[in-house]
Amino acid sequence: MLSFYDILRRTEEGKYMEEKEFDLKVIAKTTRRLVKEYDIRFNREEVVTSDISLADDIFKAGFELALESGIYCVSTRRVIKFTEEELKEGLRTAPGELIVGEGRDARILYARKIEDQRPPIIMGGQAGAPIPEEFYYHMALSYMQEPLIDTINHGGLHKIKGVEVRTGSPAEALATILELRYLREAAKAAGRPGIHLLAAESSNTCIGDLAVQNPDGLRKTDAHLIAILNDLKTDYDRLTKAFTFKIYGGFNVALVDPVVGGFLGGPEGVAVGFIASYLLSRLIYYSDYYIIHPIHPKYVSTSSLETMWVLNIVGQAMARHTNFILMGDVWTSNGAGSYEVFYEIIANTITNVVTGSHPLGVSATNGKYPNASGLETRFMAEVAHAAVKFKRSDANEIVKTFLKKYYPDRMEKPNYGKPFPELYDIETIQPRKWWLELYNKAKKEAIDHGIPLE
Amino acid sequence: MSIEDELCKKLYNAIMEGEVELAEETAKKLLDAGADAYTIVKECMIPAMKVVGDKFAKLEIFLPEVMMAADAFEACMKLIEPKILAEKKKELTIGKVVIGTIQGDIHDLGKNIVALMLKATGFEVYDLGRDVPVADFIKKAKEVNADIIAISALLSTSLPYVKDVIKLLKELNLRDTYILMVGGGAVTREWAQEVGADGYGENADEAVKIALELIKKKKGE
Repeated sequence: MLSFYDILRRTEEGKYMEEKEFDLKVIAKTTRRLVKEYDIRFNREEVVTSDISLADDIFKAGFELALESGIYCVSTRRVIKFTEEELKEGLRTAPGELIVGEGRDARILYARKIEDQRPPIIMGGQAGAPIPEEFYYHMALSYMQEPLIDTINHGGLHKIKGVEVRTGSPAEALATILELRYLREAAKAAGRPGIHLLAAESSNTCIGDLAVQNPDGLRKTDAHLIAILNDLKTDYDRLTKAFTFKIYGGFNVALVDPVVGGFLGGPEGVAVGFIASYLLSRLIYYSDYYIIHPIHPKYVSTSSLETMWVLNIVGQAMARHTNFILMGDVWTSNGAGSYEVFYEIIANTITNVVTGSHPLGVSATNGKYPNASGLETRFMAEVAHAAVKFKRSDANEIVKTFLKKYYPDRMEKPNYGKPFPELYDIETIQPRKWWLELYNKAKKEAIDHGIPLE
Repeated sequence: MSIEDELCKKLYNAIMEGEVELAEETAKKLLDAGADAYTIVKECMIPAMKVVGDKFAKLEIFLPEVMMAADAFEACMKLIEPKILAEKKKELTIGKVVIGTIQGDIHDLGKNIVALMLKATGFEVYDLGRDVPVADFIKKAKEVNADIIAISALLSTSLPYVKDVIKLLKELNLRDTYILMVGGGAVTREWAQEVGADGYGENADEAVKIALELIKKKKGE
């Protein structure tokens, strides 16, 4: 693998380019050409596709895009490029299995295959959401205490002790230290002190990540996120996160979250861009595992028709050609406390699990409101475990059935549900009766549609 | 002159296709042929941008195509604008918007989409880019005599800086001078109300709709 110094040199010595030129003349133009050359087409009828040649073409196109475009360093306005051999080395050296977490709480996180019948690893939490400090611990505990949840990725703190957390301020460090303290306490209270954490969500810059690189914060068996900026870009801040955490010995996780309709184009181009982003993030971030998070331009959610198609085809392309470990996000428009959130969870989770990803969520309301809890993530876990029994063609039919129940109407006007303290008894950390009843009703409906929930 | 005329149709198509040079060349030909500058913009150029905006909203075309169309539109405007009487210019512009992603936030794709959709609708847009210092929004708004200041924030840690813009506007006695709109991943409708923003867009469609409503209200229409 290339050294930190090799990467840094390329940020300084790569071709100088204005950002707009990179966006339009490199990314948009190359992606459009590749989509045309490989005749890649988005099929609205096959959210979960059985067309293997499509997945293969997307992988090849993505590889070509990574090779041709490289990745843009916003800090230096230079393009970091890699040779074919370097990209292949990234593929060869990618870990297909990781032991994450500690002791009895450790899990083997592995690269799933298409229609993989092994139980997926469930990552629970309202990832990406700003959570009020007053119930951060309680909410985290609601996930930790769920036996089906294997690992945690919860939201961040946006206000601590009454002080707003500002990007670049010392509050980012303090908030991230506090976030980890709450998560650790919740893990202990749930009797799972070694549970794997993907955390440091309270900080946008590297300040927070640097502040928690210690055994009281993020352990070496834990992970943090490093985003690929849209589209196919990075900067010094993200490279600092990657290099320092790798030296520390923890796991780097690449977050790839392009917007459908952005520079990469429609769902087809976004799928190609995902592959390129993964290959490049392996080299610049030394990524250990990867998040799939396509963003819908209007609804944001990963559970829309277009974004689930992307999840499906990227998952399959990566599963067939790499041993990269993928976590497929489950971001819903509707919130916990609504009935519609269960429909989104069913469609999104089945899509992820059948096509090569582990599910990560549920980030209800797309992480805007803290309207989430352990219960709907329990539901996600149950659906995920049932989904391993499906072939892609069966999965496609079920996904389409449930998609019709919320797309697009209930994404256009979502039911945001209720905040955590209204969903759970804050003292006992148990779901309130009405919320549990809604969950049971959704379970019954899922079973009636042939999803074998236990 | 109307869209039925050959050269007008050619300009309309060139803008829709994002063909900068062809659009400029055609606009020149129209001017040389004695076409009224105001009519060229109104009949040939604005309708093209409207279609581009509609197609993007339906995901029939994507951001690069919209950007190229906007580039073609602006290149033509540079040629044509000096020939339009000041009074008529006002009729072509719905309003002026200063837009940017707030300090500390480098996520600008959503803001770019909103900026382009506003342009496509007929607003004059001054895009300050990303990680824009608080005072720069106000400085630019004063400079161009803007109607709207539109601020985007994807991260919750960027939100305090949005509040700083509002605070500074109040301190400078300028809060009522500008319509203030907010949006982006971290912004909720409730937060927008709480901080006293005039408008909020959940997505680009809503941002444009609200901007139109607020500008009409401001102009007393």
